[in-house]
Amino acid sequence: MDYTGLFELAWIIPILPIISFLIVGFLGQKIKGRGGIIAVGLVAAAMVLSLTIAYAALTGGLPEQGYFEQSFNWVVLGSDFTIQMGIYIDAVTALMLIVVSFVATLVVIYSLGYMHDEGDRRRRYFTEISLFVGVMLGLVLANNFLELFIFWELVGLCSYLLIGFWFEKPSAASAAKKAFLVTRVGDVMFLIGLVIIFNLFHSTSYSTIFSPEEIAGVDQTWLMWGVFFMFGGAIGKSAQFPLHDWLPDAMEGPTTVSALIHAATMVKAGVYLVARMFPLLVHAENVMLLIAVIGGVTAFMAATMALNSPNIKRVLAYSTISQLGYMFLALGAGGYMFALGLEEGNEELMVAGSLGFAAGMFHLMNHAFFKALLFLSAGSVIHYVHTEEMAKMGGLRKHMKVTSLVMLIGSLSIAGIVPLSGFWSKDLILETVWEGRLDSIIFLGLYVLAVLTAFMTAFYMFRMWFLTFAGEEGEATKHAAAHHDEHHVDSHGSDEHDHKESHGHHEAPWVMLAPLIVLAILAIGSGFALFIGSGFTSVIYFEIPYTHDAGYWLEKFFWGESSFLTYISLAAAVLGIALAYFTFYKKRVDAPAIASKPAVKPLYNMLLKRYGFTKGYDYVGEKIVYGFSLALDWFDRKIIDGLVNGFSKLIQRSGAGLRRAQTGFVQTYAGVVAGGAVAMMLLLFFLLKLLGIEVHP
Amino acid sequence: MVEFTAIVPEIILVLFAMALPALGYATKNSKILAGFGLAGVVLSAVFTFMMANDLSVAYEFGNGLIRVDQFAILFMFIFLAVAGYVILASAVYVKDDKHQPEFFSLIMLATVGMMIVASSTDLFALFLGIELTSLASYVLVGFRKKDVKGAEAATKYFIIGGLSSGFSLFGISLVYGITHTTSFAGINTYLSWSVPLANPELLWLAMIMVVVGFGFKISMVPFHMWAPDVYEGAPTTITAMLAAGSKKMGFVAMFKFFLIGLIAIKADWQLLVGIMAIVTMTWGNIVAIQQTNIKRMLAYSSIAQAGYILMAIPVATEYALAGGLFQILTHAFMKGGAFLIVATLATVAIGETIKDYKGLAKRSPFMAFAMMIFLLSLAGIPPLAGFWSKFVLFSAPIDAAATAGAEWMTWLALAAIINSAISLFYYVRVIKYMYVDEGECKDKLKLPWSMVAAVAICLVAVIGIGLWPDPFIEYLKQAAHSFFVLY
Repeated sequence: MDYTGLFELAWIIPILPIISFLIVGFLGQKIKGRGGIIAVGLVAAAMVLSLTIAYAALTGGLPEQGYFEQSFNWVVLGSDFTIQMGIYIDAVTALMLIVVSFVATLVVIYSLGYMHDEGDRRRRYFTEISLFVGVMLGLVLANNFLELFIFWELVGLCSYLLIGFWFEKPSAASAAKKAFLVTRVGDVMFLIGLVIIFNLFHSTSYSTIFSPEEIAGVDQTWLMWGVFFMFGGAIGKSAQFPLHDWLPDAMEGPTTVSALIHAATMVKAGVYLVARMFPLLVHAENVMLLIAVIGGVTAFMAATMALNSPNIKRVLAYSTISQLGYMFLALGAGGYMFALGLEEGNEELMVAGSLGFAAGMFHLMNHAFFKALLFLSAGSVIHYVHTEEMAKMGGLRKHMKVTSLVMLIGSLSIAGIVPLSGFWSKDLILETVWEGRLDSIIFLGLYVLAVLTAFMTAFYMFRMWFLTFAGEEGEATKHAAAHHDEHHVDSHGSDEHDHKESHGHHEAPWVMLAPLIVLAILAIGSGFALFIGSGFTSVIYFEIPYTHDAGYWLEKFFWGESSFLTYISLAAAVLGIALAYFTFYKKRVDAPAIASKPAVKPLYNMLLKRYGFTKGYDYVGEKIVYGFSLALDWFDRKIIDGLVNGFSKLIQRSGAGLRRAQTGFVQTYAGVVAGGAVAMMLLLFFLLKLLGIEVHP
Repeated sequence: MVEFTAIVPEIILVLFAMALPALGYATKNSKILAGFGLAGVVLSAVFTFMMANDLSVAYEFGNGLIRVDQFAILFMFIFLAVAGYVILASAVYVKDDKHQPEFFSLIMLATVGMMIVASSTDLFALFLGIELTSLASYVLVGFRKKDVKGAEAATKYFIIGGLSSGFSLFGISLVYGITHTTSFAGINTYLSWSVPLANPELLWLAMIMVVVGFGFKISMVPFHMWAPDVYEGAPTTITAMLAAGSKKMGFVAMFKFFLIGLIAIKADWQLLVGIMAIVTMTWGNIVAIQQTNIKRMLAYSSIAQAGYILMAIPVATEYALAGGLFQILTHAFMKGGAFLIVATLATVAIGETIKDYKGLAKRSPFMAFAMMIFLLSLAGIPPLAGFWSKFVLFSAPIDAAATAGAEWMTWLALAAIINSAISLFYYVRVIKYMYVDEGECKDKLKLPWSMVAAVAICLVAVIGIGLWPDPFIEYLKQAAHSFFVLY
């Protein structure tokens, strides 16, 4: 069937949330509920259109070349230098459309309840979140890297605004600034890479750049540097080592923002960028290896930081960084194998590489669902107990039955327990990395790191769950329970909160519970996308359509020759959960005692201090940049004066008319002008000597 | 018969400037005086536009000392636009000052000087234009002579300016001594016939001398030290003119001197100017970080922008020149707009330290929004005007680096991109103060409409160029092309 007419409507997708942004932004103050309903309506409409288009694209509706493109020339810089503006739809776009629009809709619905008490400020919230959804969908639909970069900066701006939503908290304001500036380091690298790519291809359009003839025609060394720098952008956006430290701080924003922007969508933009660049990256196997190593190291390091974090949102933030590391690991490992296969003409290797690509994207989708679920559940908890410290919670299971259940599902899923969604994609990633060991021994090390990460993931997730929901009631739990009982009696019958749910009056309102339940179903079931039709890997793949159907891979990896790997990863998960169970539920292991042992304590504190990265960033920002600036300014104002002091004094004594000017050292400036001329002359001679031009001074 | 067409726009401005003091006897109302001056600027722009419409005829004056071509037209428009918004904003800004007619009159005379520089084909005509602008701006900087800072700034500006003029005049006379001509085309012809020179040292000395004079105008490091003091001390609308107008005039002079006059000995100066560009942008950006006065911060940011624009000279391709011109164009609006906001807020007694901008978003949402857009555009955030001009300008050296012997130019682009990242540091701080922090006073501000209008013009330009950069780039490429072809 011909879906061209449908695809041509894709430009409307990002426009719908933008309309909501305009309406709520300009008229929100006059609308009841401050525009929340409008935002929900238009974002949901964008979702319906997105899902329709994604369905058509994934079920074979795409044109024969594998993508649909529609664009116009935006800027013409020269006869062959053009920048376009347009939309590009292929299977990866379709997947991203599903993830972004679906999670966004659920989060905006949830926000109706979560932000209920914010009063007039809800207008700002719904304005900014609508803008975010619009530009994020634009980012996904862009048909060239420059357009992507523009949306990339805009989502960064929205993230900045939303992290700083509670700007009266100094920590929120500084976290927002940190996020903006740290990700900018990555953005600068992105821009450098973009300029290199643009000059190589004289275009930024995917369809031009990705054609094999074009790639073969450019300088391969420059191409490598181009993709290397663009990957720098992905590191910043997806919070990978060493630019990861902004994400934990970003938790200062509302939890809904953390769920949408800092777990399910924006931070995935880096992964998406790498997936997008794959046709270029497979010509640079060194960069692919770097991606895998950075992913593996980040996954491990972030997981260690989650082990002892006292803050429920921070645990989830470290976990997000760690899981994003998994995705990069999968893409890097797959890409490395593909690159080698391409060089050697080894089709088997290319197929294995393509599987890594699929595994990374598969995990991206599953993670979006279960991590949004975990964040939103944590949001419900925080909404109820008004604290983020897990030490003050405990025993919440009795008060929040639904939340505790869905959070358990999310935890099982991320821990990788069969048959929940996290299991399938994580296992696929681990198997890909294992495959890679044949080509580079580095992957063996990465595999060990990844398995240890899986173990730690299970442990810290269940540590969080037990601390929050099980055990004795903490002070915040008691306080909240008492408060809510009272509130319920007081406002009986006239309560405008909608407490329809049957689990007593402690639970969140249904607008918050419904999205949680939907996400919980997905956290259980989205992994089965592996089996739909001819399988996930036959839809989302790179370059080589699968000659084997899904059954072949399932056979090989889950039941066949490589099935022992599956048992290893399952064992890691179960061990992690068991350890958490005995430590934090049964209390067989005395965690505080271990933590305070002299051998462990420094390590424990180092983790709490995030390996010192926080300080390191501050040091670079405050001390080095600012200090250097101070020194130059001082030089500008003062030191020159010392140099020409004699000269200055001489003139100072002459001419009382200049007295006014003397205070600002005008003589100094004149001295610098004269000295500058001499210095330039000397520099010129020096440079010319350097260039080998003869000089007779 | 002498054909005057080429200088009609200048003549109109001079006539209006002369008539203004006379009008001053009839009325003391600054709005009427500003309106009259603005009428002169608009009329001059209309004539410029008529010339722009038909460039098939060569408009020349004084045996070709002045020639109006596409490149000249572009800058005449930029200078007229700057004069226009400066006068508009000044109408209220100087309403309580003495000598208002002279104030407007001097702005127009300074503009005449700039326009002469834009259309000059000869070092002497160019020098006269620069001097005319300089003399007018010395007076304008010291316009509020009772203001201690202003008087000090004017004295400094005058002394350093005089010194620099001396340098460039000496350099020009040396150039004349070597090449027996002062026209750019003539210098080029002489040099291209006699390269390699038997005795190039003298020419290098002349070149450095001229650069000192021009470098003063564009505030190139190390000739930049006057700029922060003068920008801080001058009446703020005049600061806007210095940053957006007079500085750009310096670039026109640099372009003509290097890219036409000395293009034959390109190899001798390319690396030097490249290094000066990097030093200038880095110095400006780094010192800007810790400024507490917003005018000084913008002054250092201007120095950094000068470094970016300077890159166009060593790269020396049409594409690079188009990038430089584009950056000049966008900078005229974004930096001018930022200074105008400072000026506007000064009329309602908001100070000039960055801390005074705390909580501005609540007090005047429009001004805070406009300031944010200008600053983000200066930092090169897409899709604003500043992004596009930087994109074209920065990709030019990488493009040129593909030719043999020019590989080092990649470093130019790299330095520029890293620099623009550093600049975000100090721009974001202002935005944070305006939007995030609470100010001591929360009253809504009542701002004079004419100044708001001037800011709005700049805002529309910054956003408009950001969304539809194509026609501008197209035009600038033609201008750059005509620049290289016509000579």
